[in-house]
Amino acid sequence: MKLSIYQVAYKNLLRRKVRTSLTILGIVISTWVFVTLLGFNHGYENSLNENIEGMGFQIVLTAKGCPYEAATLMLQGGTGLRYMPENLVRSVIDKPQVERATPMIMHAEFDPNRGETGGTTIYLGIDAASYPPMKPYLAFSQGTWFASDAENQVVLGYEVAELEQREAGDLMLLPGTTEEYEVVGVLKRTGNQDDGMIYMPLFAAQKTFNREGELTMLGMRLVPEIDQAAFEEELYQLPDVQVVSMAQVKNTIMGLVSSAKAIVLSVACIAFLIAIFGVVNTVLMSVFERYQEIGILKSMGALPGDIFKMVFIETTILCAFGGLLGIGFSWIFSGMSELAVRYFLPFSPSGKLIIINGSTALFSFIAIACIGMLGSVYPAWRAASVRPLESIRNE
Amino acid sequence: MKKKLLFAALLLGFAAQLSAAVGCDLKDPDRDVKRFFPGSTGYKTAYKSIDKLGGKELLQTVEARLGDKFTGLYETIDVPYTLYTVLKGKETIGYIHGINQKGQYGGLQVFLAYNPQGIISDFYYQKLTSRNAKAMTAPGFAAMFKGLSFADFKDYDPIKHTGIPAGITGEGDDFYATLRAVKKNFILVDIFVFGGKGRQS
Repeated sequence: MKLSIYQVAYKNLLRRKVRTSLTILGIVISTWVFVTLLGFNHGYENSLNENIEGMGFQIVLTAKGCPYEAATLMLQGGTGLRYMPENLVRSVIDKPQVERATPMIMHAEFDPNRGETGGTTIYLGIDAASYPPMKPYLAFSQGTWFASDAENQVVLGYEVAELEQREAGDLMLLPGTTEEYEVVGVLKRTGNQDDGMIYMPLFAAQKTFNREGELTMLGMRLVPEIDQAAFEEELYQLPDVQVVSMAQVKNTIMGLVSSAKAIVLSVACIAFLIAIFGVVNTVLMSVFERYQEIGILKSMGALPGDIFKMVFIETTILCAFGGLLGIGFSWIFSGMSELAVRYFLPFSPSGKLIIINGSTALFSFIAIACIGMLGSVYPAWRAASVRPLESIRNE
Repeated sequence: MKKKLLFAALLLGFAAQLSAAVGCDLKDPDRDVKRFFPGSTGYKTAYKSIDKLGGKELLQTVEARLGDKFTGLYETIDVPYTLYTVLKGKETIGYIHGINQKGQYGGLQVFLAYNPQGIISDFYYQKLTSRNAKAMTAPGFAAMFKGLSFADFKDYDPIKHTGIPAGITGEGDDFYATLRAVKKNFILVDIFVFGGKGRQS
């Protein structure tokens, strides 16, 4: 029976099943970590961009305070809110640089009847005429927006509606109030902060929460050709307000997580290198063990090139197989990895945090295969350099 | 065995990627389980759904036993229910199970703690929005349900509000919604734990 060099390499690996399996396991684990982290790098930024785009605003004007508090307020809703005078905000809306603007008031109310320790419900008072055009992705599963001057009507985000078991036409008793509110619409799931909001008409929210003449935020889209930095500078001159651009928010959050990402990526690279050295060590060991066998092969006519190729193929098979399995595992368990990331990260945007697409998988596979092939050069060279007579005599 | 392990691993991996109808979990299971069962040393969590356990046929059985149809956007066949089996060492000392119930002004989350025979040992609103919230969260209200079994609730009609077990008093839509949630809770625990034969005491 004539065996090709590929078959010989494959059979050599099968002869030492435990060692081969353990080597592959090392590659699988390091590839898994490596691919997951690459997927996280891609997914986190993508989700953050989507969340920020989902805001629908380029610039948000809020009352003066900590910029991180403002960022949290915008992305997740917040407590301990500060307010701006409404007339000041209206003067900004009239500026020629502003293409669209929508004023909002946010209110967080403690609900003592939620669980043992109570919970917080977030309300967003909005202008029904200017808010929906800035959030065109908001769609209804039931009902529609309230009229701007409607009283005692609310629209619910998807998660609130599920938690409260409300449908369009149902009544609600809002925590902190004694009045009944009619649910006029239930939004479809968006996957971002909108799902957790209870929307009310702006003036009704101001009245209900005793905040007449006050606003929490002004969301703006600017005329495309204007200088955004100059306009921001102009807004900074206003008393007791702060200007937060979406680009700033993104940079702030990316800054917070970048150091953590760098550390984790370094750990992944080290794990990757350890796995590769493990492969080199395993292959080298197997070359030394087969010293006599290689000598016999050469005495039977195998050329140094054939021996080099055989060892090279063995290593490539190990790396390729381990790499493929690792990529597969990272894809299958990306959901669990995402849960772990969400648990440990201080802020994680909604949406998919770990995105393992074809290019990530291909890049990882090529990287693993190339490093494996590079690592196989020395053991293959040692095997190719075996002198037949010397090897047989040594035994 | 190998196939089972692989399936479990795949399922766990995919489970986190799926999103389904809303369930009813304890907010802080470690703390809540200890509160219901101070002598417990641990608990197991299992996720059940009518859809997976028996599909439409089981749904019809549940509705027939309940005496009411599942209605609305959120009371559906695929709702995942969380069953907590409470342990003391290796011994099962009880179960905890919660139900989301539509109330007059908001969602109610009604949790019942059961002893191993299926008798209520504790009653708890994890969430309640009601004009009668003060009365319904008073200790005396929860105490009315302690010691009751499915047999006590078998004749309760959630539509006509008749057959209310002796000793249970209250009024208003949210009170009746609570009774419906308790009966539904009993029926589901009977299916999830006792095989659905109504064998609880």
